[in-house]
Amino acid sequence: MLKIEIEEAASKQWQPKIVAFFCNWCTYTAADLAGVSRIKHAPNIRVIRVMCSGRVDPQFILDSFAKGADGVLIGGCHPGDCHYQEGNYKFLRRFQMLRRVVDSLGIEKDRLRLEWISASEGDKVRIVVNDMVAKIKALGPLGLPVKYKEWANEMNVLESEIAGKEEVYA
Amino acid sequence: MIVELDAIRGVTLDTIYDSSEGTLIQTCIQCGTCAGACPYGEYMDYPPRRIIKMLQHGLIDKVFNTDSMLKCVNCYACMMKCPREIHLTEVLLQLVKEQTVIKLPVVPPELQKALENNYRYGNPMGESGRKRANWVQTSTVPIRILSQNPEPVDVLWFVESYPAYHPRGQDTCRAIAKILSALDVDFAILGNEEKSAGECGLLSWESGLAEALVDYNMAILSKYKFNRIITSDPHALDAFNFRYKMYGFKPNVTHIVPFVMQYLDKLKPMLRKTLGYSVTYHDSCCLGRHNNYYEEPRTLLKSIQGVKLIEMVHNRINSICCGGGGGGMWLDTYFKSQNMERLSDIRIREAIDTGADVLAVVCPYEIPRFEDALKVAGYDKKMAVKDIMELVCEAMED
Amino acid sequence: MSSTNGKIKIGFYICHCGTNIAGIIDVQKVVDYAATLPNVVVSKHYKYMCSDPGQEMIQKDIKDNELNRVVVAACSPLLHERTFRNATSQAGLNQFYFQMVNTREQNAWVHLDPEASTDKAMDLVRSAVNRVAFHKPLEKKTVPIKPDVLVVGGGIAGIHASLTLANAGKKVYLVERDPTIGGHMAMFDKTFPTLDCAACILTPKMSAVKNHPNITMWTYSEVVSVDGYVGNFQVKVKRKPRYIIDDLCVGCLDCIEACVYKEPRFFDEFNQGLSKRKPVYMPFPQATPQLVVIDPETCIWFKTGKCKQTCVEVCDRKAVDLNQQPTYKEIEVGTIIVATGFQPFDAKKVYYYGYGTYPNVYTALEVERLINASGPTSGEVVMRDGSRPKSIAIVHCVGSRDKNTNLWCSRVCCLYSLKLAHLLKEHTHANIYNFYIDIRTPGKMMDEFYTRISEEGVKFIRGRVADIYPDTNDEEHRRLIVKAEDTLISEIIKVPVDMVVLSTGLVPRDDAQDVRRMLNISCSTEGFFIERHPKLAPVNTFTDGIFLAGCCQGPKDIPDTVAQAGAAAAEALALIDLGYIELEPNTAFIVEEECSGCKSCVPLCPYTAISYDEVKKKASINEALCKGCGTCVASCPSGSIKQNLFEDEEIYSEIDGILNYKMEEALC
Repeated sequence: MLKIEIEEAASKQWQPKIVAFFCNWCTYTAADLAGVSRIKHAPNIRVIRVMCSGRVDPQFILDSFAKGADGVLIGGCHPGDCHYQEGNYKFLRRFQMLRRVVDSLGIEKDRLRLEWISASEGDKVRIVVNDMVAKIKALGPLGLPVKYKEWANEMNVLESEIAGKEEVYA
Repeated sequence: MIVELDAIRGVTLDTIYDSSEGTLIQTCIQCGTCAGACPYGEYMDYPPRRIIKMLQHGLIDKVFNTDSMLKCVNCYACMMKCPREIHLTEVLLQLVKEQTVIKLPVVPPELQKALENNYRYGNPMGESGRKRANWVQTSTVPIRILSQNPEPVDVLWFVESYPAYHPRGQDTCRAIAKILSALDVDFAILGNEEKSAGECGLLSWESGLAEALVDYNMAILSKYKFNRIITSDPHALDAFNFRYKMYGFKPNVTHIVPFVMQYLDKLKPMLRKTLGYSVTYHDSCCLGRHNNYYEEPRTLLKSIQGVKLIEMVHNRINSICCGGGGGGMWLDTYFKSQNMERLSDIRIREAIDTGADVLAVVCPYEIPRFEDALKVAGYDKKMAVKDIMELVCEAMED
Repeated sequence: MSSTNGKIKIGFYICHCGTNIAGIIDVQKVVDYAATLPNVVVSKHYKYMCSDPGQEMIQKDIKDNELNRVVVAACSPLLHERTFRNATSQAGLNQFYFQMVNTREQNAWVHLDPEASTDKAMDLVRSAVNRVAFHKPLEKKTVPIKPDVLVVGGGIAGIHASLTLANAGKKVYLVERDPTIGGHMAMFDKTFPTLDCAACILTPKMSAVKNHPNITMWTYSEVVSVDGYVGNFQVKVKRKPRYIIDDLCVGCLDCIEACVYKEPRFFDEFNQGLSKRKPVYMPFPQATPQLVVIDPETCIWFKTGKCKQTCVEVCDRKAVDLNQQPTYKEIEVGTIIVATGFQPFDAKKVYYYGYGTYPNVYTALEVERLINASGPTSGEVVMRDGSRPKSIAIVHCVGSRDKNTNLWCSRVCCLYSLKLAHLLKEHTHANIYNFYIDIRTPGKMMDEFYTRISEEGVKFIRGRVADIYPDTNDEEHRRLIVKAEDTLISEIIKVPVDMVVLSTGLVPRDDAQDVRRMLNISCSTEGFFIERHPKLAPVNTFTDGIFLAGCCQGPKDIPDTVAQAGAAAAEALALIDLGYIELEPNTAFIVEEECSGCKSCVPLCPYTAISYDEVKKKASINEALCKGCGTCVASCPSGSIKQNLFEDEEIYSEIDGILNYKMEEALC
């Protein structure tokens, strides 16, 4: 390859996409604060705002993975600081269960992360996001939609093979 | 604080700015705390603050062509007070110092000799390496030497050069051996295989020499199995904690004072003898400011019956260096030629002002330096300089 | 909506925000891309969407193109969501048919790579376009606002806010922890730059507070709990026992005279310990209210249970009650103003300045008392060793601008140091040396003040003090040497002085974190309370109905404190006079036919808004109690709980949008 091409390829290297659920009061505000303070960080997260981390349904997380997210980050208020008193604890309980499910599905630990980030911790947004992006870059794409297609194709082939054999036996 | 190795070898403006200090230097607010805190600041053409400003302006050659940094005794006073937490003593001044020595037309002969001795004999005094473990024969308790008995050991005691060769250092060594054995510590020394650890200050001026000694000691240490290293020399502690780590060697190293403090409950009943001294304690720069052991030596002293502790005016973070660090041990003649008073002479006046009977120290450089200063002050009959370990040992005698 | 025939028509707009957004994000590319998205019929960019022309553009498009949904990519929704919702509703559309994309704070301002930023913007635009299609028309609920206000803290900020509100006819509860109101300002001698006497300008306000019919002043009291929300806070206040019956005490001070301790011997807080007080005392002559207080920590009766109780005997009004117990008041207020102030930096933390070791090292606040005519020495500058200083060093930036202690500049220290230099010179004619790093004198008449003090012959040395130690050449006097580099002449100087004044910075109160938790507001990492927006909402907090005034939000001088207190009062008044507050309609509701009656949601609600109907065997949510966190929604196994504005379909459509996921493609 020419040098320019190599550079081009390098610059277009695979970028992970992380779906983030940030609570309105602490982490979303912290991400805004990072902006106001111009704290630069990796551009790989896409934030969905919810009022409280307690609103985050485990299904949202699994759905994100299934639809192609390489990582999912949930940000809530520190324990004891929840705007709704204890929504973050409620989510923490769910998260611990979900963690096991996600593990057993073979999705690497670093792809799912829960962080308590208060409204004043703009720099923590940077630290967490950069760290998560670096770890996921090392892991490579999760690519579940592609895998689903492959698995579906395999199944189709198998099914047609079986169907063919059944015809023969029939 | 660990600086990239390459940055130490050939220092340019770029290497300084590329080092972890680069950004910090740019945050300097030129408050002059470093210069004011420096015990020799008034003798420097370019005290640390000006050096930083000159580096900011790219005047690196001017910085290197001054002997100001030769007057730095590595006492960490500037670094610990810097409101921007610039790692002056650990990184920045070291980088400048090495270049200063390289560019100096004549290296002070005393210093030159010490460097050569370290290189040839593994100790700055120029003593034979084969005599390093000779003091062991004078110990009242048996001391295991690993080359003779290489079985795994719990505690490896890195003796270092001054304790091993200097008669007063040997006194401390015998005391330590006795204490360790009374505490049932499983310990051993390297004996004649040991060489100078490559002391932080002095040898940072000579990276090549430091590396040679570090490589040597690392090879020796890797021959044996041990859990932790202790040393009575805070400079060796620093070498291990800050220098060896850069070369990937990360043992668990403790100074003898905090080490003994872990056994305080066991030790206390053994301290049967009442000493009846008033004692003032001199904070060693490496142990105090750099490793944050301010209270441990004091607690240990206070646990000796009959010891009354009196503080000097400058204590803890504000302590004044004995002048032995950063090569100062071998620059007294040079300092004198510059009309600079020895720091040990300044410091001893503060000790004398306390009226104490004993000046307690924890660093092997300090005993000869302060004993000499006491003689100069004509006060050597009234005050004794003792290592804390000597005092502990004394209190253990019936 | 009939004219659109039920078809969704989305208008998309991206804001340049000058160059804030357009400088990094390719807005044209985003506009072109948005135009290709389903349901998008208008796609435009504009320099400032929040400006009138920007809003008018949206409104015109809504009318001309029969838009029924609007998406704006601009700054954070926390800043301008309200603006665009209003614009939407003014064009006749339900305001909740709007969705905002955060393209500035969480994109353009934090990323460096234009391509990646533009990609991110397109992902989020797709997500918003997906989501907005599911939006439903909602109405905002309104709740009435209780007109009473709680002011926490009785320093100058709390005093001013209380008076402003009370003068507007509102009922104010002013709660102060100490036995008197007045705060730090009452301790000061004079104020910069005008040098008017602090007491002369403060005490009239203090008595105005006490006499105001609309102000209930509770001193020696603390707020112990705050529940509820804007418009309707339930507050519990602990009134600590003073051991004096308020209504009976007339402040005659006979009990102090009669105390079994003939001489005062305890640390006098108001004079910073430079004088002594008895266990029964009046904090200072102008203390408001004029009530004595008995300190159980030092009173011999409380310590040993043995005392002749001469104080009880002497009071013919029977105002001394040593059996007094704490009482609790419960009040309901609509808004709260937090004015809890600061505390001075603990000078002992800079060990090498010798505070606490050398008696002639003073803090600035101590010197304020020392030069005050009603202070411990009646305004004569006599030091702890009884001597009068002939030379004085004022050390600036103690604990400030230092990574080892506090990073911030406390803003007032330079100016109060100049003031103290002037006052000390006036009182002692001593030589005065100011050791400074930078002299900072912003503000009206401040730099002129600096010039004036320089003209008076006060010396300035540019260098941070590195060491303070006794001068050994001066045995009996215990003179101190102040060592620093005079950086302007590059000389190390050692100045012998009789007295050292440490200009300590302002730090948050030790219990700021507890107060923050109790009020559900935020602290910066330093511990000062955070305002909602540093420029546009400087007295608001993230919690509606709670406002900030004074140094609890950050160091500031008296004029700024008073201005902020006035602003906080005005914000509270704005809410009260409107009479009601609109709430976000993000409450949860139950789709009854889908509820299986499993009750798992019931214990999850921290507001007990969910109950279980034993007859219908279904759960039901009391909308008035629901605060809209959505925790129950996320945990309903049958999916029968929904949250307005955050419905499952809306969030799933966002996920699909972000990941560009299309069901049809995935299945084929």
